Amino acid sequence: MDAAGGEQLSLAAVRDALVRLEDSVVFALIERARHPRNAPAYAPAAAGGGHSLVEFFAGHYQKPEDVPFFPQDLPLPLFPTKPSPKVLHPFASLVTVNDAIWKMYFDELLPLFTVDGDDGSYAQTVALDFACLQVLSQRIHIGKYVAEVKFKDAPQDYSRLIKAKDSNSLMDLLTFKAVEEKVKKRVEKKARTFGQNITLEDNATAGDSECKVDPKVLSKLYDQWVMPLTKDVEVEYLLRRLD
Amino acid sequence: MAVRAIHTPLLLCTMALLLTGLVSPSTAGLSLDTVREFLTREEDTIVFSLIERAKYPLNRPAYAPLHFGAGAGAEPDRHLNASFAELFIRESEAVQSKAGRYQSLQEIPFFAYRVPFTLAPLYNFTRDLYPAAAFVNVNDAIWSMYFNELLPLLAKNGDDGNYAVTADADLACLQVLSRRINYGRYVAEVKFRGDQQTYTSLIQAKDRDALMKLLTSEAQEDVVKRRVEKKAIVFGQSITLDGPIQTDVNNSSQANFKVDPSVVYKLYDQWVIPLTKQVEVEYLLHRLD
Repeated sequence: MDAAGGEQLSLAAVRDALVRLEDSVVFALIERARHPRNAPAYAPAAAGGGHSLVEFFAGHYQKPEDVPFFPQDLPLPLFPTKPSPKVLHPFASLVTVNDAIWKMYFDELLPLFTVDGDDGSYAQTVALDFACLQVLSQRIHIGKYVAEVKFKDAPQDYSRLIKAKDSNSLMDLLTFKAVEEKVKKRVEKKARTFGQNITLEDNATAGDSECKVDPKVLSKLYDQWVMPLTKDVEVEYLLRRLD
Repeated sequence: MAVRAIHTPLLLCTMALLLTGLVSPSTAGLSLDTVREFLTREEDTIVFSLIERAKYPLNRPAYAPLHFGAGAGAEPDRHLNASFAELFIRESEAVQSKAGRYQSLQEIPFFAYRVPFTLAPLYNFTRDLYPAAAFVNVNDAIWSMYFNELLPLLAKNGDDGNYAVTADADLACLQVLSRRINYGRYVAEVKFRGDQQTYTSLIQAKDRDALMKLLTSEAQEDVVKRRVEKKAIVFGQSITLDGPIQTDVNNSSQANFKVDPSVVYKLYDQWVIPLTKQVEVEYLLHRLD
């Protein structure tokens, strides 16, 4: 995400981006859930040379704008993109929690919303995993923009805590339980809406069991991982903000 | 109608496997019901991918022929005929090809790749399609339709510089449209098996019109178009915690949709359904080869 040419970064714009990304997260999970677990895609030797298919894909990552999963392997972009306005603090903007996202996705999340089984479509499956990883990474790293906006709003309050390296107080300052509850409920509602089976008849509310992805998984995803990791990014960003 | 052959090694491999009897053409699993189920599920995927592409503006520079700037002494105005989007898509398909994406025949790449081996674990795919007809596809027409007709209807004017994610979103749309439309091969196979006598005589007479007529059910097509339009409404709305869930278009809600439901209707009406039937007819014309 970058701010449209020259505009000041605002909390409203950042919130809009976060809300829009909820839809993308739900879509990505629904699409991945179409396939079963397909464990062979993640087996270490699947791609030869001791790598899994997932790692093979990651080596060909080509998105300069998003935070890459394997920075050391990033190929040079084929085509220079438009320079985006520098709204983030250069050093602080290097913060990344991609390792945690990767681990969370494969170890915790995938078993929750995919059924056991193997349909052989390993390449497709991994491509869909990557779509999920990328959108989750995008959402979580928007924490940097959230932190920047909040810092600019109250630089003295934040500077004091940053200088004291007080992570806990920073975390408190960044946490709004009421907002988080709203986010969880809304993303659950989106999962229920986008994951339903649409027919031309008037849809009486179908049970969650007919939903393509369990709405409770979405609220758990946001509650246990997405929002906490986003705040980790915010805190880490702020701790470097005065460097 | 131009058909693009998928790369020969894959086709030869399939035929070799069939001849050696290692993989038998399976009749299990393919039925009118499973075919309909598949096509219905694809509607959701298509709507999702259109919504995700519509997130970005048109970003025309991604589709312009690439120029390499002339430095001192370099040839002036050297350029490729390919755009950034095309190169991005070729690269992505090559990677996915190596990962085994096109093994199952359900998907056909837009570009041909010389892939000597796949890195994917082996999987015994059932071969439902008649081998001599399996190559039939309309990827050229889909490519042209997507960039020249659909994209201008889908994305707002503008340029945000995010060409890589834009091309990635284009690829997702192209892949699902290709898979859905070229699924006509499976539709045709099921229909052929359901009434071999009628189809055989029409195929032998090479009667395209009669075949097209036999494959067309306007009532069913109408249901499909209205359902996919409804999906565009439901999936494309802005969901708030307190707001109602919309299932149809009313005046006040028009502005809020991420993708215009009438564009999705038009997509199916003018392109997806007609192109799918073209695939069905061409597949059938090769069914007795």
